[in-house]
Amino acid sequence: MSPLLTQFKRLVGIDIRSEKYTYAKDATFGYTATSRVPDKWVKTTCGYCSVGCGMLLGVKDNKAVAVRGNPDHPVNRGKLCPKGLSEHHILENPGRSKQPLLRKDGVLTPVSWDEALDTMVERFRDIQSRHGNESLGVVGTGQLLTEEFYTLGKLVQLGLRTRNHDGNTTLCMASAVSGYKLSFGSDGPPGSYADMEQADLILLIGANIADNHPILCHRVDRSPGTKPRKLVVVDPRVTKTAMMADIHLAIKPRGDIALINSIAHILIREGLIDTEYIAQHTNGFAEFAEFVSTFTPAHVSAVTGLTEAQIIETALLYGRAKAAFIGWTMGVNHSTQGAVTVAAINNLALITGNIGRTGAAPFSITGQCNAMGTRESGFTSSLPGYRKFDNPQDREDLARIWNIPVDRIPTARGLAYPDIIEAAVQGRIKALWFIATNPAVSFPNYKLLEQALRSVEFLVVQDGFHPTPTSEFADLVLPAAIWGEKEGTYTNSERRVSKANPAVRPPGEARPDFDIFLALAEKMGVRDELYPNWKTPGDAYQEWQRVSAGRMCDYSKFSWQQIDDANGIQWGGESLYRDGVFPTADGRAKLHLVPCEPFVEQPDAEYDFILNTGRTVEHWHTRTKTAEVELLDNMVPNAWLEINPADAARLDLKPHDRVTVHSRRGAVADLELRITGIVAPGQVFMPFHFAETNSNIVTLGAFDPISREPNFKQCAVRIERTPMRDRRKQISRRPAPPNLNPHKLHASSPKNL
Amino acid sequence: MSLPLHELAHNDSTNAIVRLTENGIEFFPAPAAEVKTSLIPARPLGPGEQYRFHFDMTRCIGCRSCEVACNEQNNTPPDLRWRRIGEIEGGTYPNTDRFYLSMGCNHCLSAECIKGCPVDAYTKDSITGIVLHSADACIGCQYCVWNCPYSVPQFNPERGVVGKCDMCHGRLTDGLEPACVNACPEAAIEIEIVDQLEWRSDYAAGNAPGMPNAGVTISTTRITLPEGAQASLERVDIETLRPEHPHWSLVWMTSLIQLSAGTLVAALLSHHDGPITLTLILALTAFTLNISVLHLGRPAYAWRALKMWRRSWLSREVLLFGLFFGALATLTAATWIDSLHLLPIAPIVLLFLKVCAPVFGIAGILASAYIYLVPARPAWNMLHTPIDFLLSSGVLGSAAAPLLLRATNLQRVIPQLHFIAPSLTARSFPLWPLVLCSVLWMLNHITRAIRLHHSETYEHRAAASLLNTDSLRGTFLVGFAFIGIAIMLSLAGMPLLALPAALAGVLSARYLFFVSVVPLNMALTFVRSVHA
Repeated sequence: MSPLLTQFKRLVGIDIRSEKYTYAKDATFGYTATSRVPDKWVKTTCGYCSVGCGMLLGVKDNKAVAVRGNPDHPVNRGKLCPKGLSEHHILENPGRSKQPLLRKDGVLTPVSWDEALDTMVERFRDIQSRHGNESLGVVGTGQLLTEEFYTLGKLVQLGLRTRNHDGNTTLCMASAVSGYKLSFGSDGPPGSYADMEQADLILLIGANIADNHPILCHRVDRSPGTKPRKLVVVDPRVTKTAMMADIHLAIKPRGDIALINSIAHILIREGLIDTEYIAQHTNGFAEFAEFVSTFTPAHVSAVTGLTEAQIIETALLYGRAKAAFIGWTMGVNHSTQGAVTVAAINNLALITGNIGRTGAAPFSITGQCNAMGTRESGFTSSLPGYRKFDNPQDREDLARIWNIPVDRIPTARGLAYPDIIEAAVQGRIKALWFIATNPAVSFPNYKLLEQALRSVEFLVVQDGFHPTPTSEFADLVLPAAIWGEKEGTYTNSERRVSKANPAVRPPGEARPDFDIFLALAEKMGVRDELYPNWKTPGDAYQEWQRVSAGRMCDYSKFSWQQIDDANGIQWGGESLYRDGVFPTADGRAKLHLVPCEPFVEQPDAEYDFILNTGRTVEHWHTRTKTAEVELLDNMVPNAWLEINPADAARLDLKPHDRVTVHSRRGAVADLELRITGIVAPGQVFMPFHFAETNSNIVTLGAFDPISREPNFKQCAVRIERTPMRDRRKQISRRPAPPNLNPHKLHASSPKNL
Repeated sequence: MSLPLHELAHNDSTNAIVRLTENGIEFFPAPAAEVKTSLIPARPLGPGEQYRFHFDMTRCIGCRSCEVACNEQNNTPPDLRWRRIGEIEGGTYPNTDRFYLSMGCNHCLSAECIKGCPVDAYTKDSITGIVLHSADACIGCQYCVWNCPYSVPQFNPERGVVGKCDMCHGRLTDGLEPACVNACPEAAIEIEIVDQLEWRSDYAAGNAPGMPNAGVTISTTRITLPEGAQASLERVDIETLRPEHPHWSLVWMTSLIQLSAGTLVAALLSHHDGPITLTLILALTAFTLNISVLHLGRPAYAWRALKMWRRSWLSREVLLFGLFFGALATLTAATWIDSLHLLPIAPIVLLFLKVCAPVFGIAGILASAYIYLVPARPAWNMLHTPIDFLLSSGVLGSAAAPLLLRATNLQRVIPQLHFIAPSLTARSFPLWPLVLCSVLWMLNHITRAIRLHHSETYEHRAAASLLNTDSLRGTFLVGFAFIGIAIMLSLAGMPLLALPAALAGVLSARYLFFVSVVPLNMALTFVRSVHA
C-alpha cells in the first residue's frame, strides 16, 4: 500500500493500526501484547539498584522487547519495580552513545576506536610523564560488572600506575564500608533480606525503601496471618516507607546518632543486653556504657525532636525482640558522620547479640546493582578480596597470585573520589577518566566539580549514553555497552552473586567495558602481563575466584554456571559472623564511642531552611537511563520542592509556584513547589535526579573524614519565588548541559574550595 | 467462566504462572501444599455475579509497578495510562498520613460510558461484568471520556479511538491474573467476585478519599481503607489546574450551528427568507456539519453516530442536526422552485417546512447542550449550558439578521436576480433582539462564573480558578468585549462588522467552556506530565 494511501486511511480512521495493538500468548507468561512476546527469554539480573532482582529479558530479532521478573529468583519472586518492568526500553534509544568521539578544535568529532584508544594512551602517557603517574585520576562505578571492575583495577594500578582510583560508590556506600570496618574489622553486610521476614522488629534508619528499593517492601509483610512484627522508620520526612511503618520517628536531621546512643543507654539501663555476647565477642563495653549514659531520653528528646516515650518505646521494642534487624541507606551514609553512625548502629546489634543470627543483623541496603561487587573486587579503598593496603601479608598474597613483584602493590590507598576532584582543581590531577558515572549531576557542590572538569588537560568519559551533562565536558567519549549487552556478575546488598547475561548487541560501535579495558591494555603493551590469555569476562571471573579464594568474599566456591542455575548464590551464606568471630586482630568486634555532632552547615537568618535530597521511585540516579524511558519520564518529568504549609504561608507561596533554592554555593531555579505535611517546618526536600534543576548546585562539599562520603543530606538554603527571567521556556527530556561549549580554563583558580 | 488457576496451583507447583500469583511468605522454595491464596477467584461466577477489582490501600506502597505493567501488557502509548495511581495526604507534621490509590476501570454497574456511547462500542460482558470496549466499533467521538467520572477511557490519537482497562479479560479467560495484579509486589490488587444486586444496594466500600463518589456510576471496585485515617485525607493534586483539550472543531461546530439556526429563525421571523438567504444558511450549515466530523478520531465512520439515538444524546444531536439540514435543504429547494415558478408549491408545504427546519435546529441545539450535561463534568452539568447555547444562537442570529436584509437587497440591486420575487413583507431587522440576547448572554456567563466560584463542589471551584488564571482571564474579558463591540457596531449600522465581533465573542466563551472544565477524576500524583 502506498504511504500516501496509508496516511489517508489513518487520517479518516479506516486504519486504526490494529496490527500494532494485537495480543498473543507467550508460552511462559500468557496473554499479552503481541509486541511483548519474544522469541526467547534471556535470564539476567536487573541493572538498576542493589536489591538484585532476577529477571527475564525477552528478545526478538536482536531487540529487547519485554522484561519479566524471574519467578524462581529468591530475591524478587517474579516481582519488579517500575524501572525494572520497563528496563528493556533503555537499550535502544536516541540517548545511547554509539561511536568514539574525540574533541578536535573544540568539537567532539567521530573517530575510530583505534584513534580513540591511541590518543587516550598517548595523552595519559604524556601527562603522566610531565606530572607524574599519580596525575591521572580514575573514577569507576557500581554499574560495572565485578569482572570489569576487577579488570579495571589491575589496569589502573598495574598498567597506568596510579593509585588515584575510586568508584562512584564513595558517593553512596563508603560510609557503610568504613563503619563495618570500624566495628567488625572488615566490610561485608552481615545479614540477608530473609532476616527481614524473620525479625520481630525492623528498624529502618534513613532508608526510604518504598521509593528506592521497592522490591524489599514485601519482606516487611504487613498482611494478616503472617508473622507479627513491628516496623519502625526513622526519617525526618514522612516518606512512603514511613507510611508503611507501625511507628514513624520523625527525627530532626542528624539526630540519628543521639537516638541510637540513647537506645543503647536504655537497653543497658533496663538490662536488655546480651552480657554473654558482649563478654565473649566485643571490646570496650565498659567505656561504651559509661559514654552512652549521658544520652538520657530527656536529653536526646531535645536533640531529636522525639518524645521520651517514643525513644523508650523504640528501645524496648528493640531490646525485647527475639531477633531485631536494623536497615539503613543514604540517610545514614550521606553524612560527614556516616561511618561512625554505622558504627553506632553496629554497637546496638553487638550489645544485644542481634548479629550472626537469623532475623538479626545490622544491614546496609546498598545503592547500585554492583556496588558490592566493586567494593569486593576493587582496587580502590582496599585491595581485591577485602585485603588491606597496609597488610604486608595481603600484598604478598596478591603479588604471588598475579606473579608480579610485591613492590608494584602500593602500601596505602590513593585519593578518594572527592579528593581526586579537589586535586584536579588544585592542578595535582591533570587527567581524568570517568567510567559509567555522571558526576556533573551526582557530585556535590557542582561549581567545584565543574572547575575540576575544566581544569584537567584530558578528560575521558566512558558511558553507555551521550550526551550526558558530564560527557559534554569530555575530550574523549568512549561508547560503552550497558546492562543487557554484556556478561558477568552483580553482587547485591545481601552478598548474593547473580549472573547478568547479554541479550542483544550494543548499538553502533559501542563495546563492553571489559573489551575496552583489554584493548587499552593491548595498546599499552601490558595485556599479556596483566591478562594472560584472557578473552572474555569469564577469564576475569576465574582469576577473581583465585584472588578471592579463602577470603571472606570467597567466589571460588561457585562458577558462573552454578550462579546462573541457582538464581544467585550468597557468599558467606545467610548471615556472617554466626560464630561471633570477627576479622579483627583478637577476633572481637569493637564498640565505638560515637559523639553526636550537629551537621556542618546549620540554618541561619540568611539561609533559614535545611535542604534534604533524595529520590523518587520512577527515576534512577542522574536519569541518563530513565529519562530515555518515556513512560517513566512522563510519570515524573520534573523536579519539585517540598515545603511545609506553615513555611509556605509565611513566605506567601502557593502550590505549583516556581521557586528558587539558594545556598552559599549557588541557586537552583524553577522548581515546582509542593506544599505538604510530609516535610517538617524549617526543612525542604528536593529530588536529585534532574540535571536541569541540579540539587548539587546548592549541596555542600563536606565529606566524612573516614569514608570520604559527601554530606548530601543537609545544607542551609533560602527559598524564594523564581523571577520570570529565570523560568525555563520548556522542559526537555535531555537537558542542555550548563555550558554547551566547555572550554578549558587552565589558568583560573577555584573560588569555592 | 471457570478460572482454573487454583487447581493448577495445586496440581503443578512448578508452573511459573501459578507461582507468580502467590502471596505467602514461604514462597521460595514453594511446596504445592503451601499455595494458600490466589489473587483471582478460584470458583466460577454464579448468576448475578461479576468480577471486580479489590484495592487494598493499606498495602500499596505507591511503587507504580501496576501502571508500568499495564502499559507493557497493552502496548499503550507512554503518555496514556489505563491504570493510574494517585496520592492522598492529610494531617499535620509529624502526624501526617499519606496513602496511594491505584485504579484501572471500575467496571461499573451503571456505567456512563456505555449509556453515552453513540455507536454501542461498549458492552458490559454478560458473564464477567467486565465493561468491554470495541476499538473497531468506536468512532473516536470521546464522549465516553467526558462521561466517565473516573476519566478511565483515554483517547489514543495514534489510533483515532479510545481505549481502556478490560481487566485483562484475555488473561482471566486463561486463568491468569491481570497484569496489574500480577505485577504488584505487595499483592494490593486482586480480582474478586461481587453480587451485583447486593452491591447496588450498598456500595459504600467502593468509596475512598481522593475518589469520586462511587454512587455516580456504582463503581464495583472495593477499596480497603486504612483505619481511622480517611476523614482528613485530601488529594495532593487538588491545586493542579490544567486546561482541558479545547476541541477546536467543537468550538467552531457548536458556535456555527448556533449561528445557522439562529439566523434561520431570525430570517423566518423577519420574512427575509428568500432563496438566496436560505442558500447561504444552508451552505453554512453544510460547512458546519462537516467541521463536526473532524472532531472524530475516525471521520470516515461518522454515520455510525446515529446508531444509539434511543440512548445517547450524541446520537440524538447528530440525528436532529441531520434532520435540521434535511429540512433546511428541502425548504431552500422548495423556495427556489417557488421563486422560479418551476412547479407550483402549496403554501402549506412551505409553511410546514418553515416550522420544521427551525424546530429541528433548536432541538438540535438543545440535544447538543444535553451532551454536556454530564455528572462527570460538573462545570458543564449546569442549566447555564443550554441557556448559553440558546442565547448564543440568539446573539449570533440577531447579529446576522441585518446582513440578511442586504442579501435580500442583493436581489434588488443586481438586475440578473430580478426574476426572483422579493419577499413581500421584508422589513428592516430591529436591533433590540441583539441587545436583549447579548445582555442575557453576558448575565448568564457572569452568573455561571459566580456560581462556580462559590460552589461547594471542588470541580466547580477549580473551574472558576482556571478561568481566573493569567492565561484564561484575558480570554474571558475579551469575549465580553467582543459582544459589547458587536452591539455598538450594530447600533452604528455596521452589521458586516458586528457579526464577526459577535462570533468572536461566542467563540471565545465556547473555547473557555471546553478548556476550563475540571472533570471528576481520581486523585493523581503531584508532579506529572500534562496528559497523565
